[in-house]
Amino acid sequence: MTETPSLIVRYVARRAVPFIQLYALYVLGHGEDGPGGGFQGGVIFASSFVLMGLVYGWGRGREDCPERVADVIAPAGCLLYAGIGAVCLLLGGAFLQYEAFVGVDADHHAKHHAHHFGLIGIELGVMLTVTASMVTLFFEMARPDDEEVADGVAEEVDAEGEDADA
Amino acid sequence: MHDVHLAVAILVLLGVLTTLPRAIGGPTLMDRILAVNVIGTKTIVLLALVGFMQVDLGVSKGAAVGDYERAGFWLDIALAYALINFIATIAVLKFLERRVRERDGADAS
Repeated sequence: MTETPSLIVRYVARRAVPFIQLYALYVLGHGEDGPGGGFQGGVIFASSFVLMGLVYGWGRGREDCPERVADVIAPAGCLLYAGIGAVCLLLGGAFLQYEAFVGVDADHHAKHHAHHFGLIGIELGVMLTVTASMVTLFFEMARPDDEEVADGVAEEVDAEGEDADA
Repeated sequence: MHDVHLAVAILVLLGVLTTLPRAIGGPTLMDRILAVNVIGTKTIVLLALVGFMQVDLGVSKGAAVGDYERAGFWLDIALAYALINFIATIAVLKFLERRVRERDGADAS
């Protein structure tokens, strides 16, 4: 498995990943009153896995989000989205009518809260699905050939490479 | 403060314009990558400045002077841009590295 030779890139990537993921959660949480939401948060979250895959090599990156986990998370997000809608239906409201969580007779304040939490719930579902799908897309498209994995090439590309590209 | 922010934004824009020939013309691929990276970094500054200009507009319409919450949207976008820009540069460099390695491998064999 190829690994980026530069210590700086590896260090910066390792330090940046938790902040990218935290920022993705911030974007998820502020989807209502700011730019963002589930989809954008999911893409930013997935980009942290992409960064790990790029810098530490395909195999190490795939370890963070294995195929099995991604394949479970993607439909689980859909299920969360549809599940919240279905629970609303079961509680007597319309599909995705979050006010049904607290009942028709609840005061305005409680309905407002129900709306918020319902919205965050479905956004979380969107985020899970988008993250897993993006990670799967990236790693399946970047899947190295089998012989390349066996070779384990980690050649250092130095300044000569830059000149040769002129 | 609006004029100051506008002046700085125009200066940064001029900086982008001076990097643009390097991004288009090269001559090497490394020049292009570096130029695109510089433009990306300047875009982040521009986004922040536009956000502050929006704050200035709010102040001129009677908002409190320290009301930087209005810039929040723009700063969010700038932050996302910074993170994605970094990853994009890494990805392009990785691609370049692989291409160089493949070509060298072909030469050796």
